[in-house]
Amino acid sequence: MTQNLLEVRNLTTGFHTERGFVKATDRVSLAIQEGQTLCIVGESGSGKSVTSLAIMRLIDYAGGFIESGEVLFKGDNLAAKKQTDMMRIRGSKMSMIFQDPMSALNPVFSVGDQIAETLRIHKHMSDKAAWNKAVEMLRLVGIPSPEIRARQYPHEMSGGMCQRVVIAMALACDPELLIADEPTTALDVTVQAQILDLLAKLKRELNTSILLITHDMGVAAEIADRIAVMYAGAIVEEGAVDEVFEQPRHPYTIGLLRSIPGIEGERGGELYTIKGSIPSINELPSGCRFHPRCPHVMERCLREEPPLMADERGHRAACWLDEVPKEGA
Amino acid sequence: MTEYLIRRTLQSILVMLLITVVTFILIHAAPGGPKQIYLSPNLSPEAAERQAANLGLDRPLPVQYFDWLGDLLRGDLGYTFKNNLPVGDLIWPTVGNTMILMGAAWLLSLIIAIPWGIYNSTREYGFSDQTASFIAYVGFAMPSFWFGIILQELFALKWDLLPLSDMWSMGKEGDIGDLLMHMVLPVSVLTLGFLAGYVKYARSSMLEVLDQDYIRTARAKGLGERRVVFRHALRNALIPVITVLGLDLPILVAGAALTENVFNWPGMGRMFVQMATQREYSVLMATTILIAFFVIIGNLIADILYAVVDPRVKLGRKGGASA
Repeated sequence: MTQNLLEVRNLTTGFHTERGFVKATDRVSLAIQEGQTLCIVGESGSGKSVTSLAIMRLIDYAGGFIESGEVLFKGDNLAAKKQTDMMRIRGSKMSMIFQDPMSALNPVFSVGDQIAETLRIHKHMSDKAAWNKAVEMLRLVGIPSPEIRARQYPHEMSGGMCQRVVIAMALACDPELLIADEPTTALDVTVQAQILDLLAKLKRELNTSILLITHDMGVAAEIADRIAVMYAGAIVEEGAVDEVFEQPRHPYTIGLLRSIPGIEGERGGELYTIKGSIPSINELPSGCRFHPRCPHVMERCLREEPPLMADERGHRAACWLDEVPKEGA
Repeated sequence: MTEYLIRRTLQSILVMLLITVVTFILIHAAPGGPKQIYLSPNLSPEAAERQAANLGLDRPLPVQYFDWLGDLLRGDLGYTFKNNLPVGDLIWPTVGNTMILMGAAWLLSLIIAIPWGIYNSTREYGFSDQTASFIAYVGFAMPSFWFGIILQELFALKWDLLPLSDMWSMGKEGDIGDLLMHMVLPVSVLTLGFLAGYVKYARSSMLEVLDQDYIRTARAKGLGERRVVFRHALRNALIPVITVLGLDLPILVAGAALTENVFNWPGMGRMFVQMATQREYSVLMATTILIAFFVIIGNLIADILYAVVDPRVKLGRKGGASA
């Protein structure tokens, strides 16, 4: 096995609130190899965004914290680092793009300036060199007449353009890992496809590893090498994209896949939905966290929480149904 | 920009004209208007009429208005009823005195409030933040005249450290050191008043900005906190603060009647109150117009500054806030 670029081990995170400690993720473990794309999929509130913020250690600024676990980036535990050390890593070795590109850019600075700033900070480039590189980055992400666009402000651009700018900014320092938190959710469908194509292309050209957070199984299918499915703060299934799509093992994943509207199949047929809604992680049911919504619930599911169990191809799932007792993950 | 300035100036002129009309009508509609003030009650009706005709008070109001407006445009503010002094001679020195006092308090409060508000926004509910809240409540709740009197009692009467009131000591007119000594107490009172609002305002504006997505982006870029706060947040946070400052600008001229009275400061506020009790209507009209003028200027400056800080505001297209 190749070296893991990023390895998250038993990451438990939470927030201090007025009602006390609120857990957001529960012993999340995942790994990304160099040049790979891992997609975390799940419903809103499943803890995917918190996981990404925790990896970047931006969770500290959002009022949350890492309770336990490790975030190993090239073997280096980021969870134990000071923010001053994280600043050297963020934006240069690992960077992040966000959901709403229109609000992710500072309205009072030109987009070129915002890209160049990253280069000045991390690469210590001169103003002029940084600006030129910023223009070059804009060209790379497919923005026409980048010399002119660089001087414009975010409000002068469309959502898709802004997301391209954000991507250019994130990739300016040639990071090894790009974390994309729902990068296409706020965009309309045609633009979504363009942005996904762009990410796929840049990944090939720059050999950047990507951690993509999405609630859209279609997006995941298009771009991922591996998929991790999160439910109520924990990973319930993880494996290579083909295996998860073709042989899903967790009933939640099966439910997610069945809820994708397809072109084939009977028209007018009712779309499949998973009954119920995602529980708050602080009011988790006993045993398996999915059992109240599971169509195959068994007596054991009420009592015992299933661990992630891997098959021989490294496809992991946390379900008693297909207990293949080979090795705990 | 030039086009915008021209349009705003034209708008402002229109607004000023409207204000002159309203001011004129209100003053003449008020009981005890010019006719009653200028004419002695002991005059016989015929004599009174003759007197009114001499003063031009028998003419229809619109005619009187345009007469007054014409004088105003030529810079002639009229004469006082009491000593027949030119109104301008009365107003201009008090404007200067007020600007010295208010300007000092305003600048001082800004210099303290903005950095303090920024600091507090990064340490919400910390000691410094709580202190600022306390001072703000005191500043808002405590009547300025009462605070002024307390300061006089302690610093002037009890400890004899500072002069009690007035702008200069007798025979020391023009001595800057003497002026500064006289300024300490009233400026303290006024600064507390300004400070209370500005600290809170700077803080809440900053807090709102620090919560924005682009601040998270700035941190995700690996920027240090200082850069995040001072480069990325501050400029956005200043935008609403500028509005408040623009709206407060006229106070620099209008003065603070209570504080000026307590400290016997020869400024606009005190003069206005005196003249109002003496029904010096030409002074009142001139003062009102002058303050209105500064309100408009303050708004215009705020709008222009807006465009300087915020690239989303395009002067010349739809214009900014209303006058």
